[in-house]
Amino acid sequence: MSLRSTAARWGAVTRMFHWGMLLLFAATVPLGLYMTSLPMGAHKLKTYALHKSIGLTLLALAALRLLWRSTERRPTPPLMPAWQAHAASAAHVVLYALMFAVPITGWLFNSAAGFPLQWFGLANLPALTAPNPALKHLARGLHENGVWILVGVVALHAAAALKHHFVDRDRTLAQMLPGVNAPDSGVSP
Amino acid sequence: MNSVHQLPLQILCGCAIAAAGLPSIAAADAPTYAPVAAQSSVSFVGTQQGEKFTGVFRDYDAWIAYAPDQLANSRIDVTIRLKSMDSKSQERDSALADADWFDFQKFPTAVFHAGVIRATPTGPVGDADLTIKGHTKHLAFPFTWKAEAGKTTLDAHVTLDRLEFGLGAGEWADESIAGKKVEVVVHLVLTPAPAVPAPAPASPGKPAAPAAPSPKH
Repeated sequence: MSLRSTAARWGAVTRMFHWGMLLLFAATVPLGLYMTSLPMGAHKLKTYALHKSIGLTLLALAALRLLWRSTERRPTPPLMPAWQAHAASAAHVVLYALMFAVPITGWLFNSAAGFPLQWFGLANLPALTAPNPALKHLARGLHENGVWILVGVVALHAAAALKHHFVDRDRTLAQMLPGVNAPDSGVSP
Repeated sequence: MNSVHQLPLQILCGCAIAAAGLPSIAAADAPTYAPVAAQSSVSFVGTQQGEKFTGVFRDYDAWIAYAPDQLANSRIDVTIRLKSMDSKSQERDSALADADWFDFQKFPTAVFHAGVIRATPTGPVGDADLTIKGHTKHLAFPFTWKAEAGKTTLDAHVTLDRLEFGLGAGEWADESIAGKKVEVVVHLVLTPAPAVPAPAPASPGKPAAPAAPSPKH
């Protein structure tokens, strides 16, 4: 198993970014819905703190992932119609943009609301702006709409991967799947 | 605490003298002052989730009788109307208004009364009672007094333990959410004032809460 990507499949580092960020994302979105439903109290603030900590982690991972990606080759994509390749590329651009935009607008919302920002109780991060009710409203809208667009594009991306796997029966999904025993060539079962 | 309303009336006559800026003539009386609202502030610095924040109380009355050589007649009285608090976060302000914290509805004011002021090597210190949310705590109130070039100021900062006043008990007692030490910072720019503090209703232009003005309990 290679840390770096090869012509046959994504490397271990890229796969860690991919699936690790998906897990964190899948945790923090429901957490975000849950926390807003809570009555004011220490539990609510702690739940917010956890949501923000995971969000900041995702933001840092997005930056590292983009850096790592810039040093990496890509596995050879399977043959597909040009429109599909273009759609996939466009989806990836949107995914990367939102990987940054969603946590940053959350941070902006937090700052404009005059709230502190702490990463897992270990370190405090600076406010991006002074308290500002108008900006708070705007940032909240961007954060909440941004996350639903992100969920939508993730779903589309996953649906396309499953289509490649089960309909086209190519290696698109296998190239990203964890596991050391995935064959480097040949058709997935 | 309703001691604000029990001020010695004999210092009434000190008013004219204090206002004339001739305090030393008033043999038994210390000159009396009230803050210039636009230049004064009563604020606090708390800690939320590891980060300091500042809140201000915009609506308060303060009345001070003080002269370094008239300590026997010196005193400080402050009444803060808590709902005037602004900590630059609407969510935090509304949480602090709740029963778990200040409980503005039941306890609309905080009352500070320093009836004895002592001279110490480091400056004047008031022996004070502070009442918040029905809890009265005795505390030393050291302050800096400056009277120069026609400007009189009082500066002080005291550190309080919010839990001693029942602020944020229960699940809020957790210090990782809200630190228990709160620093109160007082900066008053003073102007001569009548010897008897104006009763609360006299604060003009304020559509004060119906319950607030007249003597409580």
